[in-house]
Amino acid sequence: MPRTRSQHVAAAEQLAREGRYAKAAVEAWDALADRNDPLPRIILAEVMLADDFYEPAIRFATEAIELDPDCAPAYLALGLAYDRRGGMWDQSILVWHELAEVVPDLVTAHVQLGEALATANFDEEAIDAWKTALALDPREPRAMYDLAVAALKREGVATALPGFRKAGELDPSGDELFLAMLQGAVGSAAVPGRGDPKTRGEKLRAALDKAWYEDLFGAMDYVRSVLDADHEDAEALALAAWIYLKQEAVNEAVACAARALALAPDEPPALYVLGVAYAKRPGLAAQAAEVFSRLAAAVPNSALPHVLLAETLLGLQLYAQAGRSFRRAVTLDPTCVRARFGLATAYLTEGRHADANWEMRRAAYYDTRRKGHFWRLYDAYVGGGDEE
Amino acid sequence: MTARKKKAVAAAAEALAADPAEDAEAVEREPVRVPVFPVGVNYYPLIQERESWSDWYDRDVETDFAQLARAGFSLVRVFVSWKYFEQQVGQYADDADDRLARLVAAARDNKLKLIVTFFADDGFSELVDVPWAKGRDPRTDAYLVDRETALVQRIVMALRREEAIFAWDLGNEPFLARFESAEALRVWAAKLRDAIREIDKERPVTIGIDAETFQLATGIDARTALDDFGFVVSHPTAAYRIYATEGPMTSRSGTYLDSFLLHVARGALPVLLDDVGVFSLDYSAFEEAAHTRLALYSAVMNGAAGAVLRRFRDAQTENREPYFRDPYEVLVGVEDSDGIGKPSFAEARRFAKVALRLGRGGYALPRERVAVVMPAERWEPLPSLAGLHAPRSCLQAYVSAKEAHVPVTVVHEDEDLGAYRMLVVPSAFKLSAETWERIEAFVQGGGSLFASYGGGDAEPGARQLFGMEFLGDDGPRRAVSCRVAQPGMLGDLTSFDAALPVEHYALLGRGDAIVVATDATGNPLLTMNRFGQGQAVFLAVPAERGLAQPDTWGALSPVRDLLRAVYGSQAAAAGAAAPLACDRPEAEVVLASGDDGDVLMVLNHSGERVTANLTFERRVASVGDIRGGAPVPVTGPSFATVLAPFGAAVLRVTYV
Repeated sequence: MPRTRSQHVAAAEQLAREGRYAKAAVEAWDALADRNDPLPRIILAEVMLADDFYEPAIRFATEAIELDPDCAPAYLALGLAYDRRGGMWDQSILVWHELAEVVPDLVTAHVQLGEALATANFDEEAIDAWKTALALDPREPRAMYDLAVAALKREGVATALPGFRKAGELDPSGDELFLAMLQGAVGSAAVPGRGDPKTRGEKLRAALDKAWYEDLFGAMDYVRSVLDADHEDAEALALAAWIYLKQEAVNEAVACAARALALAPDEPPALYVLGVAYAKRPGLAAQAAEVFSRLAAAVPNSALPHVLLAETLLGLQLYAQAGRSFRRAVTLDPTCVRARFGLATAYLTEGRHADANWEMRRAAYYDTRRKGHFWRLYDAYVGGGDEE
Repeated sequence: MTARKKKAVAAAAEALAADPAEDAEAVEREPVRVPVFPVGVNYYPLIQERESWSDWYDRDVETDFAQLARAGFSLVRVFVSWKYFEQQVGQYADDADDRLARLVAAARDNKLKLIVTFFADDGFSELVDVPWAKGRDPRTDAYLVDRETALVQRIVMALRREEAIFAWDLGNEPFLARFESAEALRVWAAKLRDAIREIDKERPVTIGIDAETFQLATGIDARTALDDFGFVVSHPTAAYRIYATEGPMTSRSGTYLDSFLLHVARGALPVLLDDVGVFSLDYSAFEEAAHTRLALYSAVMNGAAGAVLRRFRDAQTENREPYFRDPYEVLVGVEDSDGIGKPSFAEARRFAKVALRLGRGGYALPRERVAVVMPAERWEPLPSLAGLHAPRSCLQAYVSAKEAHVPVTVVHEDEDLGAYRMLVVPSAFKLSAETWERIEAFVQGGGSLFASYGGGDAEPGARQLFGMEFLGDDGPRRAVSCRVAQPGMLGDLTSFDAALPVEHYALLGRGDAIVVATDATGNPLLTMNRFGQGQAVFLAVPAERGLAQPDTWGALSPVRDLLRAVYGSQAAAAGAAAPLACDRPEAEVVLASGDDGDVLMVLNHSGERVTANLTFERRVASVGDIRGGAPVPVTGPSFATVLAPFGAAVLRVTYV
């Protein structure tokens, strides 16, 4: 049954969603007069968490849970507050356990549970939790990163590298970067509402749209059409290379990307595909590093090329250089989960455990925030329904 | 023990024991002159969790103290066990007296000085858990407080003529944090302090509270309870560090936290930097050593009267996982549990040698003429977020000033502002009308003011001061844009767009002020107004508060650059800049004047190797490492020094 919200709670909720935390806190505080309402306490927990005030966040989330032991958003806020505060892993484990029971399909709860267990040195249990997360969602990159880090700690870099590669492949940020770069190169030609695209721009836009939704065959049809008209179209060749890559046809991808680069040296989308293709091939890590360093130079303000370069350098056991590239990526985009995990890996190779743990904690924070779990759980809780 | 060491230890005691009342000028924060900088360590009663409370200091303390003396330590903080001393009401255990006498004798034999802490909680020694208390609160129960007084007077009476006793300490923060009101704390502290002074009028009495961290932990403003003590302590607790800074303690603004709290605590009383060391076993040996080095050099460069390390030997805890949380923050020492010194012990030993050499001629730190104003709203409880944001904003302002190499301190809103030439009011939601009047008079009289908008309406007086009409709060923005309109007016500013989420933006209308920079749409961002004989600079966004959010450290270097440039430029214009220039913001620089030449201290706050180029106002003849070696001739006003990651250099400088 949907919950009724007081005027103060509704106002606090609105302000918190808008990022006006100081005013949201005042509104929610007024609603605390109702000693049985968990909602203002949940909002206060989120507001405190948003400003990184962990102790009050823990207090309000705990109060909300005491009022309603099934309050999923409060568990989420409490678990995140424990984790981000650090040093409270025993409580954190209990909270993530509870959330995984309240919302069994919430993949993040299992991932976080694993991270809390790992910090408390329950390595086997942590691995089980991450495997549960991957069973629920095989495309969950964070669980894969966590497994790779666990392998790094237990058996060294060589054993961990395939895990990092796999996690990188699962991470959607690479595809997002490629498509964004190509979109920038193609321009803003609109796909016609009716009829087939006619111009090159329209066709490439249509191909990108199809590619975005992973209709690779549909996308390839448009690309072919562009290449039929001009077989020296570098952007179309880059997109063709990417489509081949997605279909695991690495040789074809390399051929198309190399041709695109012959026509347009330093074409960022083609550099991306060529680098990724090289990185997939054993023994070509040095070539991949060279390509990614050209990509990083071509797109200096984007974090991901630096991450790709750093991951390749990690494979070449050039840990200090990899660390520098990861740091550059984190500087450019503090929310880049992939860069954070990579940097944690570099720190682990240097024995900087506290720095590594911190980077993983921040990765967890941004990953959860990006996914918008709190407000989704909150809305489901207010609506009286189940999440996911 | 050499004669020089003996003299130095005595001088250290003298420095910490100095009666503040004798020097009223101390309130104005005159140059801190420290003849020697004592280094000490907390020496806890138990080293293994499986030991019983009755094993209180039942070990070879003589060997440990000899080792500490050899390493150059001069202070040891020991902890009385009420439970062990008074096992039955009114009956004191002879064994306890014997063990205390052994401790004191070991200190005396090794020329160490003891700080005796009476009521402490360390998690497993049960120091204050007298079984006959029957659940009554030892902080407020009148009978128990009387028994505490009796214990304290008994011990003080027995040791009042003992040369190895340096100071009496009423309690540590974990014990005191369970007071429920400032008044109850004040009454308890005053009663026990007076009880000690009845018997021992000479030695300083202190209480192990850092008012700033204590407020965060308890919500209690302990400042009044700290009046009338011999010296105060400053220590960043784990909870405070997590609250105030991002990342591990060896990274980013965390490296400045120790000195920031030192400045917050600094008033009329000398400050002992307490509990130096990492909080948990998460840290690697490298990180422990780096933190120890940073904290110790920060202390000496920022006017601490001494420093005490967190623990001598690692505590061996029971193997019951998950158990890594240490609410009492006493597990990690400078020696491992096998008695092997860790790199952090070596750091402390090296530092003690440097401190000893510094003390040979004595040195005076430069007087800080720039102050970050901690607003009174810092003491506001929830739902106001001002109380939580204010210290963080002040820390960011402090860091920016340090990066601009400006000698800076922190002053509370209600303190005298007249001793400074420049004030920084970082992202305050509000100041009192009376404070604005004082600031107006300060600027009118030639002072320089920097203030950034914190939200809400502007004080009418502030509008006149800043020479701008305030048109309202434009609300949250995801980014800060800067377009420089008056290059060179407030330092070397550059235009930028930075993704800094801010909750407020002050819309400013035309006035007398010069618009130094605007946002991307032409709204004034940075203004400068001549007012009386001084100047008032206003920044339309709560930049320091924004920078205090995690992860903005690296990404927002343009905003940090802006603050650094403006602070540096204003301080220079106000005659409050450092007497030397340094090209690396991460290098903290202090030029102290000594009887036999100036002493330059440089501390690298980054984890990277840094070459700092230093330029003096005078021609330098030579520089030499204070630890020894031949001085290196310098042919001009500039030279470079290479600093290892988190490294420090202390150089004696002579001039042409």
